[in-house]
Amino acid sequence: MAHLLTPGPTALAQHMIRMRLALMRNSLRGDDAANLYTGVSLGVLLAFGTIAVAVLWPAYLPHTLAVWFSGWIFGPILFGGGSEALRPEYFSMLPATPGRIAAALLAGAFAGPAPAVNLIALLSLPVYGWRFGPAGVLIGLGAAVTTLITMVMVSRVIVALIGLFVRSRATAAAVGIAIGTAIALCSNGWAPFVALGGTDTAAWSQVLVRALPSGWGVAAIEAPWPLALAILVAGAGVIALLLAAWAVLLSRRVVSAARGGMPTRRGAPRPFPAASGARITAVKELRAWWRDLVRIQLLALALSYAIVTPLLLVTIDSWIMVPFAGLIAIVMAAASSANLYGADGTALWLTLMTPGAERADVRGRQLAWLVVVGPAAVVLSLAGTLVSGQAWAWPWVLGLLPALLGGAAGLIVLLGVTSLVPGTDPHKRGGNPLSTGADETAETSVAWLVLIAVPATALPTAGAILLHPWAGIATGVLTGALSAWGLGRIAHRRLENHGIDLLNLMKHGPAPQADKPTTADLPIQHRIGVTISYLIAWLPLFPQGLVPMVMKIVGIEDRGWFLALHLPPVWQWPTIIFMIALGLLMYGYAILIPMRLGSSSSAATS
Amino acid sequence: MPTHREPALRTIGLRKAFGDHLAVDDIHLTVPAGSFYGLVGPNGAGKTTTLAMAVGLLRPDAGSAEIFGVDVWRDTVQAKGLIGVLPDGNAMPERLTGREVLTYLGLLRGLPPAVVAERTDELLQILELDSAERSLVIEYSTGMRKKIGLAVALLHAPRLLVLDEPFEAVDPVSAATIRTILRRFAANGGSVIISSHVMALVEQLCDHVGVISDGRVVAAGTLADVRGAGTLEDAFVDLVGARAGGTEGLAWLTS
Repeated sequence: MAHLLTPGPTALAQHMIRMRLALMRNSLRGDDAANLYTGVSLGVLLAFGTIAVAVLWPAYLPHTLAVWFSGWIFGPILFGGGSEALRPEYFSMLPATPGRIAAALLAGAFAGPAPAVNLIALLSLPVYGWRFGPAGVLIGLGAAVTTLITMVMVSRVIVALIGLFVRSRATAAAVGIAIGTAIALCSNGWAPFVALGGTDTAAWSQVLVRALPSGWGVAAIEAPWPLALAILVAGAGVIALLLAAWAVLLSRRVVSAARGGMPTRRGAPRPFPAASGARITAVKELRAWWRDLVRIQLLALALSYAIVTPLLLVTIDSWIMVPFAGLIAIVMAAASSANLYGADGTALWLTLMTPGAERADVRGRQLAWLVVVGPAAVVLSLAGTLVSGQAWAWPWVLGLLPALLGGAAGLIVLLGVTSLVPGTDPHKRGGNPLSTGADETAETSVAWLVLIAVPATALPTAGAILLHPWAGIATGVLTGALSAWGLGRIAHRRLENHGIDLLNLMKHGPAPQADKPTTADLPIQHRIGVTISYLIAWLPLFPQGLVPMVMKIVGIEDRGWFLALHLPPVWQWPTIIFMIALGLLMYGYAILIPMRLGSSSSAATS
Repeated sequence: MPTHREPALRTIGLRKAFGDHLAVDDIHLTVPAGSFYGLVGPNGAGKTTTLAMAVGLLRPDAGSAEIFGVDVWRDTVQAKGLIGVLPDGNAMPERLTGREVLTYLGLLRGLPPAVVAERTDELLQILELDSAERSLVIEYSTGMRKKIGLAVALLHAPRLLVLDEPFEAVDPVSAATIRTILRRFAANGGSVIISSHVMALVEQLCDHVGVISDGRVVAAGTLADVRGAGTLEDAFVDLVGARAGGTEGLAWLTS
């Protein structure tokens, strides 16, 4: 009667690829399509850049490929593996072995834009191999394929590991600390390298980038051909091992119930205190902070970044940033709390259906955020300033601390209701406990907005400190309180008037004729421009502008990769100022253009 | 001031389109005060959209809604005080336990702590949620989610209950409990609107029925008027112009 139809491995893989492409076709409407085109054009640009590196600066090819590799590792952690279009759960009832399903899912994973773009970048390997003759090109081609599969596999295995093992506060915090440290290394990782000593480091790093899976191709091309073949075979072996590991992880993930990012608990919780209004919302929020692995991970990320960044500079005996660890923590924690309302999903309906609850909700969230972040920021600031012995920093730290805390507490609720990024409702999320299902590009741009806007709220305080060191404290307390109160007031007014629209944005997606201008409405060339600006504006502003400025002021001799410090002294300050201006300009463009075009287009249609 | 002579709920020309799809097209409904009203219709008929607009959770493209004469979109706060709502598929404060959700919402509404504690205890016990004292709402089953949603709707003793599919995924014992609670509520002067697919249930509980199909009201009135001589199910199939399928095709399954 019943036929047991098990498709062969090739057929199964073909089905997965077709399904993946069908999913992509169906999601390519409006916003998502524009996001995809922006992402792909940016990726292709970077891929050709990589090929250019292979031609012009071949010595840096393994470094460049290491950057692509780190993208595959950190992308899914930072963005919660959102690209997992084909969920293993869909296929758990197929009568096939886990290994066969894993292989087919892998084939499906390649049917997307990211691997295709990465393959273009990896064509830099045969281009590099050209220097070593036809054999080099051949080995390069083989290595391009194995490297691509290895990178995608490593990425999948990491997503699977997170899905299975991030089930407790400790593991969530560990992931957060790993990412925070990695980001800190990206911005200030040069310092320990400088500390370890000039040219030796270069030789050492050459070996390191070839030892990474991304560098095996380069190593194979440079090696004599028997060794080259051995490296390629070893690469294939690693792929087989990763595939086997992935199959095991997948089969375990499918049978272990996902708990939506919930740590385990013992015993019944303490009863709620008999409070009301904002205080009762704050109590609810504090429990949510403690019981949500996503929030714990993001908090750990913010704190570890704030601690590691200044400590990296200590390796070159520069204590200048240590007093400011607490202030960095405030800004980072605000950036990771920018989507508070989006992360809670449609639970907003309860606030909207309770008469007059909007104000309590906004104020409660502010209060809870201050209770979570405030003490850590105060302790880090006081301890950092004391330990570093930088007595000049006291007025800055004491003035900016209340200004930033208040500004952040005001901005997170304001942006939470004005720039909400819809995610998946918590109880409907998939097997990845660190994913909220929100659009990563949109979430990242809101986070960038916070990173710029929160320090901006402290500008009056900075001005006051320059006028008189101790005037800053009064100004800081005053502007902090004003920002928290005023921005919070705008937020709860907006929640009262537009709460329904936010709820339906989360329930049904954006309305077809949106009143609110968004980046999505921009012409494609501006969208690409805005995205590129968000992605690379930090480069001129921070490492090429502010860092060399600080180094020149403090008198650090090492020139590192800071363009300005390599130029004749007369050009150094103009270059630094140009870089800072360029970074600010790019941020200004990225923030203002969407507002301007958005308002003019909505004015035209209304 | 709202009086008992005003209908518990009146919708006037409600209309809502999602993109090109017209989900609700000119819906007029009147739910008399003190009635137990059943809103029925096929999947995708517009029941959930209508109820969401009626209680103020979805802004209509056109039309208005009144609760005991209070305009939902003009006197929002006053209208919200009169109703208890169980929407379909919305999230809750997921990382609280059932007891914490009720305590939080009761205190947020400004009820005295002692009253909140007493009502929370009773609701959890009657709806048999007290055994899951340590579970967070995110860990609840679909049926338990319905029950905690119902408890939230009842907590502040509203005058009108608007319940979207209250019996979906609820086990038979709990369903009987919920039916009893709702009957007692209606018998003591409360008004109830439920939406459902289950005709037998609506027939058993409701005294008034509205039938929605393709975003329009195709019949409304007392149960006796709508169903006529036959069963509600027969009347429903006639009204929505549907034909029960399943007799053709699928030869491979039955051979």
